[in-house]
Amino acid sequence: MDKDSRCVVPDDDPALIELWLLHLADSALPIGAFAHSFGVETLVMAEMLQIADLDVFLQAWLEQAGVTEAVFCRAASQLATRKIFPAKEWLELNDYLGALKPARESRKGSAVLGNNFLRAALAVCKRMPMQRADEESRKASAEVHHACAFGLVSGALQIGEDQAVRAYLHQSVAGLISACQRLMPLGQTRAQQILWNLKDQIIEAARSSTEFTLHDVPCFLPVLDWGAMEHPELFTRLFIS
Amino acid sequence: MVCTLDQGEVIASTGPEKSRMRASLRLAFARNDVTRQTTLAFSHQDPPLRVVRAFHNDNGGAMAHLHNVSGGLFGGDDLSLHVEVGKGAEAQLTTTGATRVYRRGIGTPVTRQQNEFTVSDDALLEYVPDAIIPFAGSSYSQHTIVQLSPNAGLFWWEILAPGREARDEVFVFERVEMQTNIAAGDEIICIDRMKLEPQKNSVASPGRMGPYRYCATFFVCKVGLQVEAWFRLEVDLRKIAADLPRPEDTLWGISTLKAHGIMIRCLAKQGCDVTSGLFCLWDAAKCALYRRHAVRPRKMY
Repeated sequence: MDKDSRCVVPDDDPALIELWLLHLADSALPIGAFAHSFGVETLVMAEMLQIADLDVFLQAWLEQAGVTEAVFCRAASQLATRKIFPAKEWLELNDYLGALKPARESRKGSAVLGNNFLRAALAVCKRMPMQRADEESRKASAEVHHACAFGLVSGALQIGEDQAVRAYLHQSVAGLISACQRLMPLGQTRAQQILWNLKDQIIEAARSSTEFTLHDVPCFLPVLDWGAMEHPELFTRLFIS
Repeated sequence: MVCTLDQGEVIASTGPEKSRMRASLRLAFARNDVTRQTTLAFSHQDPPLRVVRAFHNDNGGAMAHLHNVSGGLFGGDDLSLHVEVGKGAEAQLTTTGATRVYRRGIGTPVTRQQNEFTVSDDALLEYVPDAIIPFAGSSYSQHTIVQLSPNAGLFWWEILAPGREARDEVFVFERVEMQTNIAAGDEIICIDRMKLEPQKNSVASPGRMGPYRYCATFFVCKVGLQVEAWFRLEVDLRKIAADLPRPEDTLWGISTLKAHGIMIRCLAKQGCDVTSGLFCLWDAAKCALYRRHAVRPRKMY
C-alpha cells in the first residue's frame, strides 16, 4: 500500500487497487474476525440452526443485516472521498450503526473488528481520511464499526464503492460460514458450496443497499438477535460473540 | 384539563391514492407540585382517536386508555400520537384492546401511525399497549420517536401478532414496518427497525421468526443510570425470564443498550406467554429502578 521508491505502479492503477481490495477483504487480515459468531453460536447450541438451514439463514442475513451493513459501508466510503474529512458525520455514522445493533456482544464485536481493521490498514498505509477517522474516534472514545471502517478505508484507497460493498458482504458471510464450520459438522466442500451459491444474493444485497438510506434501512433478525443477546449465558463458548 | 375536539381531516386525492384520514391525538401530562399528582393537563383529540379521562394511580401517576373509536386502523389512515410527560410527572398509557389493522383496498394508501413521546426531567412514561394485529392484506407503517431528558424513565413495549390466528390468518398481511428511535438528549441509544413482508421474504426463516409467531420488544430506560447498574439489572431480569413458563415455546433475549437502558426481545408461539412474561419483567424492572411495583393498567386481560 504505502510503497517505497522502487515501486513503479501508480496508486490509481486499477490492478493495484484490485490487489488492495483482495488484501483487505482477506480473512487472513489479523483483525480478530475468527473470534466472533454474532449470535450464531447460541443458535447452534440451542439446535435452532442446522446445516440444512444454512443457505436460507445466510440469505435472510444478507437481506437484512447484510443490506444494513452495506448501507453504512457505502456511506463511509463516500465520507472518505470528501476534500475535508467530515469528522462529525463519521462519528455519527458509527454511533447510528451501534444504535441499530440491539445485542451488546454483537455491537461490541462489530466495534472491535472495526477498530482493529482501521488500525491494521493504518499500519500498512496512511491516507488522510483514515488517520483523521482514527484520531477523531480516539478523541471521542467512540466506536468504529467494521462496516464503516471497511467503507472508509476502501474509499480512501479509491476502491470502487460497489466493489468494496460486495467484498465486505462476501467477507462477512465467509466469516459466518467459517464460524459454522467450527460449530457444526460442516465439511470444507459443503462450506465452499454454500459460499459459492450465495454470490447472487451477495450481489443483490449490495445492489439493494443503494435503495435505502441510513434512516430507513430495516434490520430485523429477531431470532439471531436473541442468539446474540443470550450468548453471554452459554455454559461453554468458542466465540466472544 | 384543556381539551379540544376536532374533526379528523379527510384529504381527498385525485391520483391513484384514495382519500387519507389524518387525525392526531395530543396529550400532555403534568405534575402538580402541591398535590404531587400527575394529571392530564391538555389534550387535543381528532376522531377516531380519543382519551376519555385519566385515572389517578395510587403512586401519584396518571393512566389513560387510548381509544380508536373506529375499531381499528384502516387503509389510508394517517394517525399521529404526541405525548408529553412534564417534569416529574408519571404517565401510563395503554390501549383498550388489541390494535386491529384492517385489510386495505386496492389503491388505498398504507396505514400510517406516527408516535412522538417526550419525557421530561425526572418524569416517567409507561407505554404498555395490547398487541397489534395486522389482518390479511393489511399494510402498516409505524414510526415512533421517544425523547428522554435527564433522569427520565421509560417502560415501553410493542407486541406484534401474526394476524387473526383463530381464522388461520398467520403472516398473510402485506407488510408491517415499525421503527422506534429512542434518544437521551442528543444521544441516540437505540434504533429498532422491523420490516416484515411475508409474501416477499420467508418469515419462518431461521434468523427471522423461525417457528415463532409473536414478537415483542420491551425497552427499560432511565437516563443517567450507570452502566454497572444496567449489567446487574440484565442479570436479574435474565434470571426471571429463565423461570417464566413454557420456555420451549418462548424466547427471551435481554441486553443492555449502548447507554441508559435495556432491551428485551421476546419471540413466542402464543400471545398469552408474551403478555404474562412482559408483566413479570416490567414489575421486576420497576422494583429495581423505582423501588415499587408496576401497577397494571385498569382493564381486563
